[in-house]
Amino acid sequence: MRAKYLILGLLFQLSCFSQNKEVLYNFTSIPQSLLVNPSADVSYKYYFGVPVLSGVSVNLGSSSFSVYDLFADNGVDFNDKVRNIVNKSSRNDKVVTNQQLEVFSGGFRVGGSESRSYVSFGVYQEFDFFMYMPKDLALLALDGNKDYMGKVFHLDDLNVKAEVLSVFHVGFHKKMNDKLVLGGRAKLYSSGANAVSTHNSGYIFTGQQPGTVNLYSQIISSNLELKTSGISRFTKDEYDGNIARDIAHNTFFNGSLGLGVDAGVTYYPKENFQITASIIDLGFINQSKDIETLTYKGTYQYQGANPDFSGTDDPENVFAEFKKAIPRDTLYNKYTTWRPTKIYASLQYSFGYFRSDNDCNCKENIKERYRNAAGIQLFGMTAPREPLVAVTAFYKRNIFEKLDLKATYTIDEFSSTNIGLGLSGTIWKLNMYALVNNVLEYKDISKASSAAFQLGINFVFQDSED
Amino acid sequence: MKLNCINSILRVFAVTILFVSCSSDLDFDQVNDLKLEPVFIANLAYFDIPANELVADGGTQIIYDSRNFDIFKKQFLRDYLKKAEFDVEIENTIERGFVINMLLLNSQNQILTTISFVVPAYKGSPNVIKYPTEVFENQRLELLKQTQNIGFVALMTSGVPLDENSLGNLKLRSSTTTYFEIEAK
Repeated sequence: MRAKYLILGLLFQLSCFSQNKEVLYNFTSIPQSLLVNPSADVSYKYYFGVPVLSGVSVNLGSSSFSVYDLFADNGVDFNDKVRNIVNKSSRNDKVVTNQQLEVFSGGFRVGGSESRSYVSFGVYQEFDFFMYMPKDLALLALDGNKDYMGKVFHLDDLNVKAEVLSVFHVGFHKKMNDKLVLGGRAKLYSSGANAVSTHNSGYIFTGQQPGTVNLYSQIISSNLELKTSGISRFTKDEYDGNIARDIAHNTFFNGSLGLGVDAGVTYYPKENFQITASIIDLGFINQSKDIETLTYKGTYQYQGANPDFSGTDDPENVFAEFKKAIPRDTLYNKYTTWRPTKIYASLQYSFGYFRSDNDCNCKENIKERYRNAAGIQLFGMTAPREPLVAVTAFYKRNIFEKLDLKATYTIDEFSSTNIGLGLSGTIWKLNMYALVNNVLEYKDISKASSAAFQLGINFVFQDSED
Repeated sequence: MKLNCINSILRVFAVTILFVSCSSDLDFDQVNDLKLEPVFIANLAYFDIPANELVADGGTQIIYDSRNFDIFKKQFLRDYLKKAEFDVEIENTIERGFVINMLLLNSQNQILTTISFVVPAYKGSPNVIKYPTEVFENQRLELLKQTQNIGFVALMTSGVPLDENSLGNLKLRSSTTTYFEIEAK
């Protein structure tokens, strides 16, 4: 029973994809856009997010199957569905989840009303999950080795990592002049739970080789390693607490600590032409709390139970030999994990002058004199095998003075029909935003290979509103 | 300005409608239908006895050995193994016939089941025999799940005498095919 849930869990991780926040990026009427580019050309006298509601983001999706493929109530045998998904998947299909929740956030301008230097800060909680499709292991669990004589089942197909952490951050951005904005952010990570199994290798092989004494040549060569931090106490029999509560407590108050930085630049070569770039989460965590590393390392060649009629007594035991050849070792060494680092870049061209209802619009940014903007964005993120990349075309429009729309079209390896929409509106001093992607899939969300949304509420105070 | 505000409220609500989207009928209870049915093949046993180690006069001779073989007693197999098959292949190039008995023994070394293989003497032509598959299901499978040791008895039937210069080998190769049914229930 446990095996079944393990396998199912591996297959079905309400699989999701990358952390690309293509709609939020450079959507400068939303203060949270500073979290994807610390130099985002955002200006305010001060702002604060509504606690817990200022920034919620969840990415859900899968590169090889949808919820519908697995759970459609269509009379197809569930086991056939699982088999179909495994058969059509590849070992490089990804299952990536990211969820963020801002606990609080805020910012203020430093210096007088003429100053163009801004501080922003906050705390958010984040959950990351990344897994490649463990195709060979799934095949072995579904079919066994009978129909795969001569096939090498690769153990490095098992490649997974997960983390729950909280991030305390302080950022600073400054408009150096009308053309250049520079920004940076320092981050303190506190990881409540971490599990990493990304450096596996080895294989399981069954084949028939002519000239050998045995019917089959059977070899297991294993180099498996699972590192955990903040988890091992929950696996002990004597533990009788509340896992969710304890992880939450560790995440904010007793986590493994790490440091990181964000950096960004926004540059206007011309008044209506903007270039931006940012690097997010360049950092590490020193996993040091409740650490445990499990390894299965060794090589075992299975021969069978072979009698020896020469009279020598050799009390061999297959199971004991296997355990000796590939022992389970537990280590308690600290280890370092690198955060998934994200890189964004964009080119934006603005056009169509904006006609303000206000008498004075003198404090507004250069770009906001334009009604429309269009351009392209690039996204990249580090991953255990190869980086994830995405290209986005976008169009932004200032519908009303305090209502902005952004539409995006993104191509990545998961989807070539990912259209995103975002709205950010300000009523009095209340800024509300909602961003969704993959809107075409919303007609039947269960068939979507991915879905992501972000929403939040902030209070933003500008000089012009004083 | 006021109109703008009302419009913005409407727009913000409009976006929330995006979240209320449709979904096909889904049945998550299907998880309970998951049944894994992998089939694994593994070596069972082999031996290779050269004729010159079977120094014997023309009469019968018995050799015996047993090996620890408790893999089928492991809890995972007791729970999920639904069927097992043994396939045995024997090649005899010795000018004597044999009867080979494969014994499954419990922890008290009592014989649970015996499988016999009659091996004809080598007559100069290829002498490889693939024996019919031994199937373990139901009651017989339960015996397999009690097996602690596997024993082999090779009985050499009468024929030409063998000495240290005799040629040929008696080779046994075998495999087991195991059928699993892994369910949540």
